[in-house]
Amino acid sequence: MKLSELDPEFKIEVMSHKEAEGLNLCFACGTCTAGCPIHEIFYEYDPRKLAKMVKLGMREEVLASPYIWYCTTCHNCEQRCPQNVKFFDILNVLKNMAAKEGYAPHSWIEQTKQIMKNGIIFSITEELKEKRRALSLPALKYDGERAKKILKLTGIDKVKDQRKA
Amino acid sequence: MFLGCTTPTQVLQYELSSRWICKQLGIELVDIEDFVCCGINQSNISIEAGLLLASMNLALAEKRGLDILTLCAACTGQLAEAIEKLEDPKIRDRVNSKLKTVDLRYEGKVRVKHISRILYEDIGVDRLKEKVKIDLSRLRIAPHYGCHYLKPASAFKGFDDPDNPKTLHHLISVTGAYPIDYETINLCCGGKSFPVSEDIARSLVKRKIDNLMLKEIDFLVVQCQTCYLMYRGQQKSLNQKFNRNYNIPVLLYPQLLGAAMGGDLRNDLGIHLNGISMDDFTKKLGVDLTHIKR
Repeated sequence: MKLSELDPEFKIEVMSHKEAEGLNLCFACGTCTAGCPIHEIFYEYDPRKLAKMVKLGMREEVLASPYIWYCTTCHNCEQRCPQNVKFFDILNVLKNMAAKEGYAPHSWIEQTKQIMKNGIIFSITEELKEKRRALSLPALKYDGERAKKILKLTGIDKVKDQRKA
Repeated sequence: MFLGCTTPTQVLQYELSSRWICKQLGIELVDIEDFVCCGINQSNISIEAGLLLASMNLALAEKRGLDILTLCAACTGQLAEAIEKLEDPKIRDRVNSKLKTVDLRYEGKVRVKHISRILYEDIGVDRLKEKVKIDLSRLRIAPHYGCHYLKPASAFKGFDDPDNPKTLHHLISVTGAYPIDYETINLCCGGKSFPVSEDIARSLVKRKIDNLMLKEIDFLVVQCQTCYLMYRGQQKSLNQKFNRNYNIPVLLYPQLLGAAMGGDLRNDLGIHLNGISMDDFTKKLGVDLTHIKR
């Protein structure tokens, strides 16, 4: 990779989000990676490496990477970081930026659509209603109207599905 | 009571047994029909969207002067994290300016607690022990906490220790059962990776189940429906894929406590929905339940 291919503005853009402010404190000790359950089974997913890539300005490599979406949100990385860097939050910032560029996974887009329709990520089918009745559980009356209104304010409804982008 | 998305649609026995436990203990549950998804997964594509959904739920509870009891670990983490963020007046103002469009406002008065935390902190192990009618001391149980039950730690203000948690151990001990320790006790179930990469998520399940197969346990006990679905459902997939014979039965904590408190296994606790036969279950418990008076 050539120096000219790096984007020095990338890290500044990432750190302009409040959630990613602490990135500069990372001294690449790798405690995050050592405690990451995904890294343990899938070597290519590496929090320390991702933090380093952001700092170097490897914009495309980070945002287009399918691996950034593999995080299982266990919070070990930030829990154990000696510098109190919130890698979990930084990763969310990266995913948000990647989503804006059309890399959002199909599953998360579909869930958002469901919430805007039903208020929750699943449909309430007749079969489910019957199951709940059989167990004497109260009827569900979820409604997506309010959620739809509030979600539209964030522009999340405009985020493109990776499969269609 | 905050049901979330998955429990009331896919793991009804968790809701059923939790309602039964609360009724026995005098915890009054109010169902708020306007509740929506907690927003945790939406944070992936928009942190703000996740925060707004969480805030909306907090505002709905606050409007009724209620605190929130959660069942799902992830909802617990997401709502607790939102409460922490909203302590900042700048963030609260920004969120409130958006909540206005749906006629809501959040002042910062709501507390969120997972059902297990309420049982541990607000009811207490001593009072729970008094309610136990059936001694389950023949059982060896592997606890699984669920990541968001205690993390991000800053949102839980010193409740339990995420790296060395003990509350579920204590709650299991209440029933007389023995909670074991094991190497992968803090390993994530992979539930939040599953929608993006099933293989990766399943590999996490495999690591824990491989570990537990060496441990001679009667049940794996979880306190989150996503962890439940991962461990219960993915054992089958792993058996097919790797030609294994994984068969560790998974219970949700209120089902275990409920069994010890003498709940009806089917009607109060929904054990039949866990894919465990009633005969096997009572055999494991080592007690004849047919004569228990409720």
